[in-house]
Amino acid sequence: MKTIDRLTQWIGKTESFKKLSTLPLNFVLNFVLIVPFAIMIFLSFTKWELLSGYDWWHAPVVGVPRFIEAFGDARLLWALIRTTIFVAVVLPLEFLLGLGMALLFLGDFRGKKAFTSVVMYPMMMPWVVVGLGFYLMFQYYGPVNLLLLKPMFGEGGMIDWFTNPVLAFAAVMIADIWQWTPLMFLIIYAGLAAVPTRLIEAAQVLGASSARIVRTVRLPLIKPLLVVALIIRGLEAFKVFDIVYIMTRGGPGVNSTEVVSLYVYNLAIVYHNTSYACAVSLLIMVAIALVTRLAIRPLEVKPE
Amino acid sequence: MVRTKVAAKSIGRYLLLIVVSIWTLAPVAWMVSLSFKGPTEWYAPNLIPIQPIIDNYISLFVPTNPIGGSYFFTSITEPITKPLINSLIAAGLGTIFAVLVGFLAAYGVSRYQAGGTFVIFFTLLTRMLPGATFVAPLMVFYAGIGFVDTYSGLILLYTAVTLTYAIWLMKGFIDEIPPEWEEAALLEGASPWTVLRKITIPLTKGGLVASALFIFILNWSEFLFALVISVTQVTTLPVQISKYVSAVGRMYGTMASLGLLATIPSLVLGYLIQKHLVTGFTFGRVR
Amino acid sequence: MPKLVVKNLRKVFGTFEAVKDVSFHVEEKETLCLLGPSGCGKTTTLRIIAGLEVPTSGEVFVDGVLVNDLPPQKRQIGLVFQDYAIFPHLSVFENIAYGLRVRKMPEAEIRKKVHGTVALIGVENILDAPGKKLGLSEMQRVAIGRSIVLDPKLLLLDEPLSNIDAKARERMRTELGKLQKEIGIATVYVTHDQLEAMTLADRIAVMRDGLIEQMGTTSEIYNSPRNLFVADFIGSPSMNLIDCECVYSGGRVVLKSGDFSFDITEFGETVRSKSKGKELVLGIRPEDVSIDVDKTDPKAMESEVQLVEPIGAKSIYHLKISGPTILSKDRAMPEVKVGSKVWATFSKNKLHAFDKKTEEAIF
Repeated sequence: MKTIDRLTQWIGKTESFKKLSTLPLNFVLNFVLIVPFAIMIFLSFTKWELLSGYDWWHAPVVGVPRFIEAFGDARLLWALIRTTIFVAVVLPLEFLLGLGMALLFLGDFRGKKAFTSVVMYPMMMPWVVVGLGFYLMFQYYGPVNLLLLKPMFGEGGMIDWFTNPVLAFAAVMIADIWQWTPLMFLIIYAGLAAVPTRLIEAAQVLGASSARIVRTVRLPLIKPLLVVALIIRGLEAFKVFDIVYIMTRGGPGVNSTEVVSLYVYNLAIVYHNTSYACAVSLLIMVAIALVTRLAIRPLEVKPE
Repeated sequence: MVRTKVAAKSIGRYLLLIVVSIWTLAPVAWMVSLSFKGPTEWYAPNLIPIQPIIDNYISLFVPTNPIGGSYFFTSITEPITKPLINSLIAAGLGTIFAVLVGFLAAYGVSRYQAGGTFVIFFTLLTRMLPGATFVAPLMVFYAGIGFVDTYSGLILLYTAVTLTYAIWLMKGFIDEIPPEWEEAALLEGASPWTVLRKITIPLTKGGLVASALFIFILNWSEFLFALVISVTQVTTLPVQISKYVSAVGRMYGTMASLGLLATIPSLVLGYLIQKHLVTGFTFGRVR
Repeated sequence: MPKLVVKNLRKVFGTFEAVKDVSFHVEEKETLCLLGPSGCGKTTTLRIIAGLEVPTSGEVFVDGVLVNDLPPQKRQIGLVFQDYAIFPHLSVFENIAYGLRVRKMPEAEIRKKVHGTVALIGVENILDAPGKKLGLSEMQRVAIGRSIVLDPKLLLLDEPLSNIDAKARERMRTELGKLQKEIGIATVYVTHDQLEAMTLADRIAVMRDGLIEQMGTTSEIYNSPRNLFVADFIGSPSMNLIDCECVYSGGRVVLKSGDFSFDITEFGETVRSKSKGKELVLGIRPEDVSIDVDKTDPKAMESEVQLVEPIGAKSIYHLKISGPTILSKDRAMPEVKVGSKVWATFSKNKLHAFDKKTEEAIF
C-alpha cells in the first residue's frame, strides 16, 4: 500500500483521532508556553540581561541570588500590597453592586431587554479604551471635576486626580469597577433567575416577603456559583495591567501606583533586568498557584 | 392598597435603572462629546458641542492641520491606518487559528478525553497566571528566534493566549450535543472527521460563531503582549492608543475619537454575539 | 359560615380561557375535590385561591373576608404543590419551621409546634436530612407538614399523589385520608384520578374546560351523573355507553341499536318529557351488569364472552350482546371463558339514559 493511503487510513481511525485532535494544541502550547517557561526557570538562576551582548544560553548560572534579591525587594513588596488592596476594594464592590443590580433586574418589567443591553456593554469595551475614557473623565478640566465636584464644592473642590497617588489609584479602581460590575451582574442574575419558580411560590404561600425570599431561598441556592464568580474575578483583578498603564503608567512619580503586573513588565522591558524578572515571575506564579489551590479547597470537598 | 404599593415599587425600580444607565453611559457619552468638539471646547464642561466638527476623526487617518481652526494643536504624528490594519490581521488570524485548534482540541477532550487531565490543568493554569509573568522569557525566546515585531510572532501569541477561552467555550457547546448521534454514525463506519463535519459542526454552529466573535473581541482588545512584542511594524490599535496618551496627553478630542473608533468593532460584535447565542442554544435543544 | 367561597371565577391567559365561570364553597372540616382531566382549569382555580394568580373576574372569600387583593403571603392558606417544592438546602426540620420563622415565633415554641406536626406526619427519623436527599413520599409528608404547622384556614393540595408510583400511591392515599380526618382543616384537593376523589373527598366538583359540570357528594356523582361527561369520567372501568334510537311501538318504549334492543317502557314518561330528540345514549355501569350461565332472570339477554380480564376476586367480562360490546364487572367465574354463552342482566334501578345531543341525563 502506498504511504499516503496508509497515512489517510490511519488518520481516519478513532484512536489516532484522539491523538491528532490535540496535536495542534500541543504544538502551540509548547511553542508559546512551555519553552518560555523553561527558559524562565533557567534564567532565574542566572545573572543576565537582554542587552548584555551575549546569548542567553551562555548566561552564567549563579544559583539563588535572584530569589534572595526578590525577597528583599521593597518595590516588589509595595507592588504586591497595592495589588492586594486593589483586589480587596474592587472585588467586594463589584460583587455587591452586581448583586444589587441583579436584584433590581429580577422580575418582569417594560424595557428590560433594552436596559440589560445598556448595562452590559462596558464589559465588551477594550480595556485600553476604558482606561482612556476614565483618563479623560478624571482630567483636571474633565467632567468629574467640572460637572460633579465644582457644582458641589465650588472652584476649590476640583481635584488634580493624577498628581496624587491615592486619588490616581482610586480613579483606576473606579474604572475597573465600572467595567466589570456588569460581569458580576450577569453571573449573579443568571443564578438567581435559575432558582425554580415553584420554590419561590412555596415560600410566598408560607408568608415570606420578597426580601426574605432572596435571603433565605435564592441566595443560599446560588452560593457555589457566587464563590466561583468571586474567584474568577478576583484572579483577573489581581492581574490588572492595561488600565493602570494607560491611566497612570505607575505614577505619579516612579511607582506610586505600580501594581504587580506593571512592576514585572517594567523589570523585563523597561529596565531590561531579565534574569531578575524571570525570578520574580516564577515566584509570583508559584504564589498564585498555591493561593488558588487553597481557595478551591472548600469547593472540592463535595461528596455528592 | 396593593396597587399603589406595586406602583411605588415600579417607580423606584425605574429610578434606580435610570441612575445605573447614566453611570454606565457617562464615560462613553463624554468621549462622544469630546470627539466632536474643537480644541476650544476640550476643557469645557458642556456635553453638547457648541460647534461640532469631525476633524478629530479625520485627523486620525489624514494629517489635518489645523484642527478645528486652531493652530495651537497639530494632528497626531502618524495616521492610524497601519495600527488598524495590524489589529485586524492579528485579531482576525489569531481568532481563526484559536477557533480551529481549540475546536479540534475541545472535541477531542469532550468525546475522547484526549490529552487527559493534562490539557485541562494547563488550560486552567494559563487563565490563572498574569500575562506579565510571561513577558520576560517570552522576549528572550522571541528575540532568539527573530519573532520580535513580526506578524507571525504576534499571531501565534494571540492564538495561544485565547486558546484557553476557545477550548473552554466550545467544549461547553459540544457537551450539549448528545453523543448518541455521533456514536450511531461511527457505528455505521464513518470516520471521526466525517462525524465532525456532518453532525457536530452543523449542530454547534451558533455556539461556534458566538465563541469566535467573543475571541475576536478578546484579541482585538489585547494590549500587554502587543505592547511587548511590537516595536514599529506590528503596533496594534491598543498599543497606538497608549502611545498617544503619553505623547499627546492634552489632545482630548483626537484621543476620544480614537478610543471610540477602536471600540466600534467590539460593540458590533458584542451585539452579534447576543443574537447568535440565542440561535446557538435553541439549535442545541433540537432533539 | 363556609370557610371558602369562590364566586364566578374567570381567568383568561391571553386568548385562552382557562377558567370560565367557577363557583363553589367549602365548609369547615370539609374536603372538596376538584376533579377533571388535564387542562380543565382545576389547578388554575387552586392557584387563584392561593393568590398565585390574579383572576380576570370573580371573587374569593376566606372566612367571609374578600381576599382578592391580598398577596399569597397574607392569606393564611396552605398549599402543597404537585412536585412538593421542598427547599433542598434546608433540613426537614427547617423546611417545616420555615413559615414559623417568618412569623418570628420564639425558638422554643417553634420546636414544640414542629415536633407536634412531625408526630402527625411521621417524619421523626429524618428530621435532620437535607431536603434534596428525600424520597418522594417523604417529600410529600414534609410538604404537608410545612403547611399545616401554620394552622392555616384552608388547605390546598395540587395533585398530591400524581408523582408517586402506583404501589405507594394506595398506601399514601389511605394515610392522606387518615391525616385529613385527624387535622380537620377545610381542604380543596385537585386531581385527575377519580378513584382518589371518590376515596378522599366529601364532595366532588367535576370540571371540564373551565366549568364545573357537576358538584355533589361522592354517591350523588356516582349514582346520578348529570351528563355524559360526568358519567363517563367517574367509575373504573367506565360506564358502558350505547348509542341508541328511541322507538315508540305498540305502547312500549324501546331503545334500539342495530340488533340490540332494550325495553325502557317504565321510564316512558320521563323520556317523553325530558328528551329533546330521538337519539339517546343508554348507560349502565359494568358493576351493575351481572352475568349468569343459566337464564335465571326473564329479562336477561343472551351474550357471548369476547374477553375475560381477571382482576382478583372479580373479573371484567367483555360481552357481545346482539351487536354492541358491553363490559361487566362480576365475580370471577373460572368456568366462563372466551366464547362462552352467558346471560347478562342490567340492574333495574341503575340504568341511565342521556340525550345524545345535549348530553344531559334523562334518568
